Order: sequence, then structure tokens, then C-alpha cells
Amino acid sequence: MAAIVAAAMTSHAPNMTATPAAAPVQRPRFLAGLQEMRTRLAAARPDVVVMFVNDHVQNFFYDNLPAFCVGVGGAHWAPRGAADFLKMPARQLPGHVEFGKALLKAGLDAGFDLAVSHELEFWDDVSVPAHFLMPEGTLPIVPVLTNCVAPPLPPPRRSWQLGAFVRRFVDARPAGERVALLASGGISHWIGVPNTGHINPEWDHWVLDQVRDGRGEALAELTFEQIEHDGGNGGQEIRNWIAVLGAVPGVKGEVLAYEPVKEWLTGCGAAWMHLQA
Amino acid sequence: MSDYALNQVLYAKAREHKMTDAIGADEVGGYDLTPEERAALAAGDLDALFRLGANPYLIRRVFRRKYAL
Repeated sequence: MAAIVAAAMTSHAPNMTATPAAAPVQRPRFLAGLQEMRTRLAAARPDVVVMFVNDHVQNFFYDNLPAFCVGVGGAHWAPRGAADFLKMPARQLPGHVEFGKALLKAGLDAGFDLAVSHELEFWDDVSVPAHFLMPEGTLPIVPVLTNCVAPPLPPPRRSWQLGAFVRRFVDARPAGERVALLASGGISHWIGVPNTGHINPEWDHWVLDQVRDGRGEALAELTFEQIEHDGGNGGQEIRNWIAVLGAVPGVKGEVLAYEPVKEWLTGCGAAWMHLQA
Repeated sequence: MSDYALNQVLYAKAREHKMTDAIGADEVGGYDLTPEERAALAAGDLDALFRLGANPYLIRRVFRRKYAL
């Protein structure tokens, strides 16, 4: 069987790169956490990264909007059209066609009605974490997208189950293959809604406590309404974290950074799961 | 459903990576919008757009410069 060699999660926000002069105290503190994550990820020597992430209505519009989608393309734009805004060069990150297609088929066989995309364009969702965690741009990424932005959304419990499925899928992969799981999104933020810019550090800390203590299933019990109330519409992205946690149930995590960054409009967390502990 | 058309307007603008303060009548001729939706777009009224069913991420992207942060 293959091995999950890393499991981690981080927030994303366009202003992490778009406004580099903002948040002069908090920015370096949060990025230090991502630097530590980068070091650990490299040391884990993954062959492929399964990235649980969400679209921001750039790939999927209301004419065709999947609850879950696997990116099976040989490359993903991260970024393309948003490059100027994010202040980073447009670039393509490698995909992993065989892994992605196998994941898609196994998911369908297991009862997950996954959509598929052969061409995806990412914004801050993938581009910003990749910029800090995988700047070389050589590590193949298989994106697994969950609708977190256009309700009705799949329930968090389903993300937990999806993560558990990915665990079983990896277990059945060829021996020697090394797989990293990375979630991008959350924690609390309110975006484009009347109280845009609000952050709820209390809820963020509760989320991080569950991650640290290996109680990810408590997050899977959340409802859309609870998340919307405590974490904001941006908090719905916690589904991506829940999927990673569902793949490593009971494993305890370490918070590498937490900063409620007003200038990024986001309660920003970064956490690493201690798989060997 | 009319909020679909409202989101179509914002999506088209977002796809061009253009930010604006208002979307006037000259830009929405082909869309099946209610008078209230047209007024909200023309005024760049963020709260009204949200109340009318515009996706908050699209509101944010298109009208980004109207926000303090």
C-alpha cells in the first residue's frame, strides 16, 4: 500500500501576496508558520499532493456547479487571470493524470458522485499556498474541489466521509507511493456580505483546538448554519480541512501559526498533523 | 430565476478581471433583470446586491475597490 506521508491545512487569502506591505507584524508571523510547513512537507518527500480546496466562482458558475470535483488535468493554472492581482507570475503547476483518474473512478465506485475537470484555473485558493509551500512548482497536485461558496453546500459530514475514502484509496495504491494531503481555506472570514471583514478568533481557536486534540469529527458535526453564524461565509471552506481530518482520524495536530489578520479579512491558521505520533 | 441573471452580469465582469464602482444600464441590456436589480447594479449597492441574491464572492470581486480593505 501507498502511504500518507503528510497531512496539513492552511488558510488562503489573496492579500497574503497582493498587498505585501500590509499587516507588517502579523504577516511575517503567519508566513513563518507556512515556512515551517514547507520544510516539513519537503522532508516528507511526497510524490503527489492531494489538495482539498474550493473554487471561488472562477471555474464553476451557476450553470454547472459541482458539489465535488476532481481535477485530472496534466497541469493546473495557478494563477492565470488573477496573476496581476495576486502579484505573482502566471504559471502552471503539474497535475497527476493517472492518480487523478484513478481517484475519480474509485470515488464513483465508492458512491461519491464526483464531477471531473481536465482544466482548472486557480486563484488565491491554490496559487497562494503553492507560492509559499511549493514554490519550485514541481510537485504534482491533484485538486479535489468542494463547493464552499455557492449554497446549498454539501454537509461537512460528507467531507469527512470523502477524506476517509481518500484514505482507503491511498491504502490501495501501489506500495512505495508517497501521498501528501493539504487543505486550503478557512478559518473564519466574512467576504462580500454586509459585515465583510469580520473575523471570529474565538471560533478559530475552537477549530484549532479540535485539530490539535485529534477531534476532527467534532468539525464534521457542524451544520451550514452553525458555520455561517460562527465562521462566516468564508468559514464554510473549513470543509477542506474536514476532508483532510477525515483521512487521518484521531491523529493529533500542531498549530504552526494563527493570526486573525484584519488586512487579509481572515482568521488565518496553519496546522500540521503528526501522523507518526 | 432572476438572481441567476444578476449573477451572470457579475460573473461576466469578474471573468474579465475588471473592477468597477457601478454597472450601468448600457452594460446589462441583454440580461433579464428586475428594475430593483438594475438599480442595485447601477448604484453599486453592495448590501442590496447581496439581498437580491448576488453571490458574495462575485460582489467582492467586481466591486472590490468599494471596500475599505
